[in-house]
Amino acid sequence: MENFNVDTLVIGGGIAGMQAALDLADQGFQTALVDHEPTIGGKMITLSKVFPTLDCCSCITTPKMSSVAHHPNIQLLTYCDLQSIQESDSGFRVAIVQKPRYVDAHKCTGCRKCEYECPILIPNPYDRGLGAYHAIRVPFSTAVPQTAVLDMDNCILCGKCEKVCPTQAVTFTQKPETFEVQTRTIVLASGFELTPLEAKKEYGGGLLHNVIDPLMMERFLAPTGPYGRVLRPGDGKEPTSIAYVQCAGSRDQSLGVEYCSRVCCMYAIKQAMLISGALPMAEITIYYMDIRTFGKGYEQFYQNAQAMGVEFIRGKVAAIHEDDQQNPVVKVELTEDGRVVERTHDLVVLSLGMVPSPGSAGILELPLGDDKFISVPAPNARPCHTTRPGIFVTGTAMGPMDIVDSIISASSAAAATSAYIRAHQNGQASPKPQEEAVYA
Amino acid sequence: MSDEQVSNVSRGEMLKSLREMHAASVEQTQALLREQKQMQQSICQIIRETPKTVPEIAAEIGKPSHEVLWYIAAFKKYGIVVETGKCGDYPLYQRAKETQA
Repeated sequence: MENFNVDTLVIGGGIAGMQAALDLADQGFQTALVDHEPTIGGKMITLSKVFPTLDCCSCITTPKMSSVAHHPNIQLLTYCDLQSIQESDSGFRVAIVQKPRYVDAHKCTGCRKCEYECPILIPNPYDRGLGAYHAIRVPFSTAVPQTAVLDMDNCILCGKCEKVCPTQAVTFTQKPETFEVQTRTIVLASGFELTPLEAKKEYGGGLLHNVIDPLMMERFLAPTGPYGRVLRPGDGKEPTSIAYVQCAGSRDQSLGVEYCSRVCCMYAIKQAMLISGALPMAEITIYYMDIRTFGKGYEQFYQNAQAMGVEFIRGKVAAIHEDDQQNPVVKVELTEDGRVVERTHDLVVLSLGMVPSPGSAGILELPLGDDKFISVPAPNARPCHTTRPGIFVTGTAMGPMDIVDSIISASSAAAATSAYIRAHQNGQASPKPQEEAVYA
Repeated sequence: MSDEQVSNVSRGEMLKSLREMHAASVEQTQALLREQKQMQQSICQIIRETPKTVPEIAAEIGKPSHEVLWYIAAFKKYGIVVETGKCGDYPLYQRAKETQA
């Protein structure tokens, strides 16, 4: 890979990064989008449907992924890590490492013959480890780019993939390659992770097989999921009683996550409605402290779930243990009358919260807020500006938000980036920040 | 030696030297492969003629049911097993016909 210049480097190929890149590229700016994964799409491509419209996530994300890949003004850099960043006269010089795929990306046609020939099965992270793929594989059927990647740590070097490849694309000798991108601006869209499933020991996450995280349930509800239907991972039973435990990873001082993650109420309600469709006989219970349905159409969505028969129980779940049939037993203190009751379910979903993805903030030398997300000094006046001129932040890298807000934030970051580039092209200083108090 | 034979020899040497370079991970993965092959054999033998649920398979081969389900999900994805119906709340799985695999 040769060094090259762009107007903007977007870090992160999730929905926010893709939207920002497309907005900037559509305005004629030369844009590079870098992602550490072998495919773009982020978390959103693994989801089933979006709230509150229940549109198919893949139907929204896949065309955007394709647009990014085919846009003449976007250079797509997948399976790359940021190595260093240096400020220069005309912006930033960013050193990037292209990790070896052990497959020649120019030759690979994505036919997957190598994948079918490979003898090793490994847990598939796109299915949260509940499904499998081979050591050499195209990450998933709508991955962009459709290029295979080999996991050398799980390879016996049998050479079967190399032999079967019709274009001789497999190259075991590939090495990491470092190259530089000179860019005027950077848009950071590094996304989020869930709070760890095992963080609250009393809930049994990570130990009890039928206590799962919400992204696992997303995969069960997606047509491309590991089982092709909703089954509990402990023993493959079709669950007839499913419970959600809200605020299982947010609003909790003991986890260091004191904030509300803003999406858990809505994704739990959405999943409950989707389960009602997939398993009409299933009883679904949501244990909650408060239900926060603040977005457009969200309250109606909540009421629809109630009307569909989803049971909402106000209380605080103290602990979850398992009976001898692998059924999770939820011990909950009911807010209404203070009673402590135990209820048995087939499957429990912990509504985990959002924490920032580790990674780029350190390399970019951006300060973090108390919540560990990227600090935005003037959130009301300049919501996407970081403390470093020329570096903008968007999506869940700046704090918990849903898909709608991520897309709005991405377009906002693109507009701010565009204004910054144009101001510098015309030899103007960066626009002065407006006083926070004016908007607060 | 023909060009093809020469290239096969150099390819073999290249793979051999790479295996030496990645000796630790190759050894670990070979052990994993042996385990996976054994699991595949055991599971496929049990469901070759009669479809079974995950707990039934797990009980017969003496492995935890969540582990068996992981293999079943993988085999289903790659066409080695198929779902053939249900027994109570549990789907039944059977070895796919060789032509389907």
